[in-house]
Amino acid sequence: MNDRLDKVLTKQQKQLIEPDVKSTEEVMQLVGFIVSDEEYAIPMLNIQEIIKPIEFTRVPSVPDYILGVFNLRGNVIPLIDLRKKFNLDASKQSEEARYIVMKGKNNIAGFVIDRLTEAIRIRKDRIDPAPETLHKDKGMIYGIGMRDDSILTILKVEALLKRDF
Amino acid sequence: MEDIQEILEDFLVEAFELIDQIDQDLVELEANPEDLELLNRIFRVAHTVKGSSSFLNFDVLTRLTHHMEDVLNKARRAELRITAEVMDVVLESIDMMKALLHGIRDHGNDRDVGIEIDDICERLTAVSNGDEILSSGASDEPASAPSAPPSTPEPEEEVDVSDLSDDEVEAEIERLLKQRKEEDRQRKAAKKAQEPDTPKSQAPKAPPPPKKAPPLKAAGDRDLAPAKKGAATVEQTIRVEVKRLDDLMNLIGELVLGKNRLIKIYDDVEERYEGEQFLEELNQVVSAISIVTTDLQIAVMKTRMLPIAKVFNKFPRMVRDLSRELGKAIELEISGEDTELDKSIVEEIGDPLVHIIRNSCDHGIEDPSIRATTSKPEKGLIELKAYNEGNHIVIEITDDGKGLDADLLRIKAMEKGLITEREADSMSDKEAFNLIFKPGFSMAKQVTNVSGRGVGMDVVRTNIEKLNGIIDIDSELGRGTIMKLKIPLTLAIIQSLLVGAQEEYYAIPLASVLETVRVPIENIYTIEGKNVLRLRDEVLSLVRLSDVFGVKQVFEGSDMTYVVVIGLAESKLGVIVDTLIGQEEIVIKSMGDYLQGIEGIAGATIRGDGRVTLIVDVAALMEMAKEITVDIRASLDEQSSSKTQPSDYKVLVVDDSKMDRNIMMKSMEPLGITPIEAANGLDALNIIKSGEHSIDAVLIDIEMPRMDGYTLAGEIRKYSKYKNLPLIAVTSRTSKSDRLRGVEVGMTEYITKPYSPEYLESVVRKNIKLPE
Repeated sequence: MNDRLDKVLTKQQKQLIEPDVKSTEEVMQLVGFIVSDEEYAIPMLNIQEIIKPIEFTRVPSVPDYILGVFNLRGNVIPLIDLRKKFNLDASKQSEEARYIVMKGKNNIAGFVIDRLTEAIRIRKDRIDPAPETLHKDKGMIYGIGMRDDSILTILKVEALLKRDF
Repeated sequence: MEDIQEILEDFLVEAFELIDQIDQDLVELEANPEDLELLNRIFRVAHTVKGSSSFLNFDVLTRLTHHMEDVLNKARRAELRITAEVMDVVLESIDMMKALLHGIRDHGNDRDVGIEIDDICERLTAVSNGDEILSSGASDEPASAPSAPPSTPEPEEEVDVSDLSDDEVEAEIERLLKQRKEEDRQRKAAKKAQEPDTPKSQAPKAPPPPKKAPPLKAAGDRDLAPAKKGAATVEQTIRVEVKRLDDLMNLIGELVLGKNRLIKIYDDVEERYEGEQFLEELNQVVSAISIVTTDLQIAVMKTRMLPIAKVFNKFPRMVRDLSRELGKAIELEISGEDTELDKSIVEEIGDPLVHIIRNSCDHGIEDPSIRATTSKPEKGLIELKAYNEGNHIVIEITDDGKGLDADLLRIKAMEKGLITEREADSMSDKEAFNLIFKPGFSMAKQVTNVSGRGVGMDVVRTNIEKLNGIIDIDSELGRGTIMKLKIPLTLAIIQSLLVGAQEEYYAIPLASVLETVRVPIENIYTIEGKNVLRLRDEVLSLVRLSDVFGVKQVFEGSDMTYVVVIGLAESKLGVIVDTLIGQEEIVIKSMGDYLQGIEGIAGATIRGDGRVTLIVDVAALMEMAKEITVDIRASLDEQSSSKTQPSDYKVLVVDDSKMDRNIMMKSMEPLGITPIEAANGLDALNIIKSGEHSIDAVLIDIEMPRMDGYTLAGEIRKYSKYKNLPLIAVTSRTSKSDRLRGVEVGMTEYITKPYSPEYLESVVRKNIKLPE
């Protein structure tokens, strides 16, 4: 535990010292998560909270990716299954599944994801705009983040929260 | 600058309140032109508005009110008789005044609305002059008044406030004080001799030159107004922003949910710790909180209540105008105007009532010539009544006109293609009356100013539906029509009936529930693809809630079913549900922008157990029901006969040992059923919950990792659809207490290991009722 903490601290220290990352304007803080087998990320500031799955109530006459609504401390919040929304394989919900409650300007919704990965800091110049061919996805992708060992699909929260039915 | 803004706002609030009252007063005045108190009151309104508007430099408004004041002042002094013609002009000028005030509210000044007042001012002057010439008592004194005023009072008011030098202020105050004293003296005198009030008040006014007259009135007014307020101070008031009340209401809503939750928890605890000391204390606290919460809720609801007089007040004027326009004599009788309603509802109810009353005037009440041939009095009567009935307010509009002709309505509706001939034939009179609510339907032979476009009654229906109200219409040909609007008192917290459709729960606003009945399936008939039920002397359309909302069918109903009869505005529908949970007070919560306006769902609420329950939008449900063509009886029959061969029967085998599972399956082989395996309680529960297989029986081992057999049985029994699912315990635990525990959690059978294959086979066969 201590080791990991140290690592994080030194990493943060390094980030502070590194001149080109210093300005917060150029860095984006993201939270990464897995849906089906792919890794996605969303800006941390758009996350209200992350909770363990709780019971929800089905809502009729809506697309099947809207699972229903759930009670978050007295507020009724829609629950959206990202696997179904992205037309990915719908396997069984695992123990690590979570609801990410995202908030936009005037909308709020919970999204079911399979697993959280980590908090990510990424420089803005390492984010490429979404490739043309992906634009048919109704612009849900903010950009593609280049990381040392992988690439990351950064989602546009406003687009996820936009009602499209 | 801000001060001015504040003053302006106060002015507007006050002015609108005054105007609300004035319309009614004026109409009353026409009936009793001699009522001096009434005249004074009206005069004061014009005067107050004039004074404030000149202070705020609204020249147009000042000029208009000034002219009105002129006419009224003469009437007050009995120099002018209030005739219908005079009243027309005065009422018109009041309308102008309203328009100007609206303009001020919207634009901040009275010029941008572009209202021309020259014409009306001239007519006001003409009325005051014209009548004066006719009436004998014309002295030159009042004659000079109307010509002088345009110039005199305006600067006068300005002296009052704007260009005041200190000396002038002093002088003005002195003068006012003197006048006030005089006025007081006068009033004392008036009190002594109550009768000759009129001449006395006139006497002192005559001596001073006309120039002085307005300030005198001002003094009198200022004097009278506080006196009026003095009487009102008995019930002191504070003006509060509506938003604050809304916030308060929301908080109360949360509290009600908390209370529901507390009661639910208490019920759970009560079961578990029966007879314990603390239970009694808990009970007391829970009861106290629930009483206080209810009281609090009522108290806050009351703060939002407004007397329906707010709406009713504009009708005397409207009926008066209409009766003149239509050349009919109509009297409007209002009662129950003190009945209170939630503010938001008061705002919504105005429009429908306007349409209904216009309709009564235009179509209901006959022309005087026709009325003369009947035994009815010459003057038509429209009664507008409001009263409370349980959680509802009922507004009744009755007219003694010609009534509705059901046959004519049927014919008209057929002509317009709104109904088919067949529908018309099978329609009861009452249903025929309801045709008037159909959009595009009109009985008027021609489109007039007043009605005939076939829009009005449709507006009534939509607005009342929006309020979850019910319209009941009854009529007798030649005798008149009664229309009853039944509206819930408040919108935010409502009583609801909770129902279950399969495993899902929905809340139906109790305001829309007419009754619930339990009927045998055989009583449901299918006519032209529609399911109907004969209920007493009515034929009721039926729809299954689970069909409307696409609820997954997981279990079949019995041969009896519950029907919730819902009614909205003028229509009725029977909704088949699987369970009735009961009545509960619920708080309507929005589901956010994302799920706004889902068809058939009005909102959501949080129940005592913390779960979200959706609230049915009754109006939408009725629309959706029309689209659904499921033959309920056929689908029920199909369900029950779906299993034809042994392999259609499924038995779930739950045991952590593969070998034991195999033994059980081997024993059942002769039956030819389909076995499904689960290695522990949790897996078994998931298989059952998923609803993938329709399982006919479960064989359960007791000792299992993760979830044992007892817990599993308990969990399964929590689902109402599995209340009768055979659960067969297969175990080596043989003690009496084990068996008892098995019975407690709901095991159907108890097989002890070891067992003979034949025995297991026969037990399973018996329980799944496999045909031999």
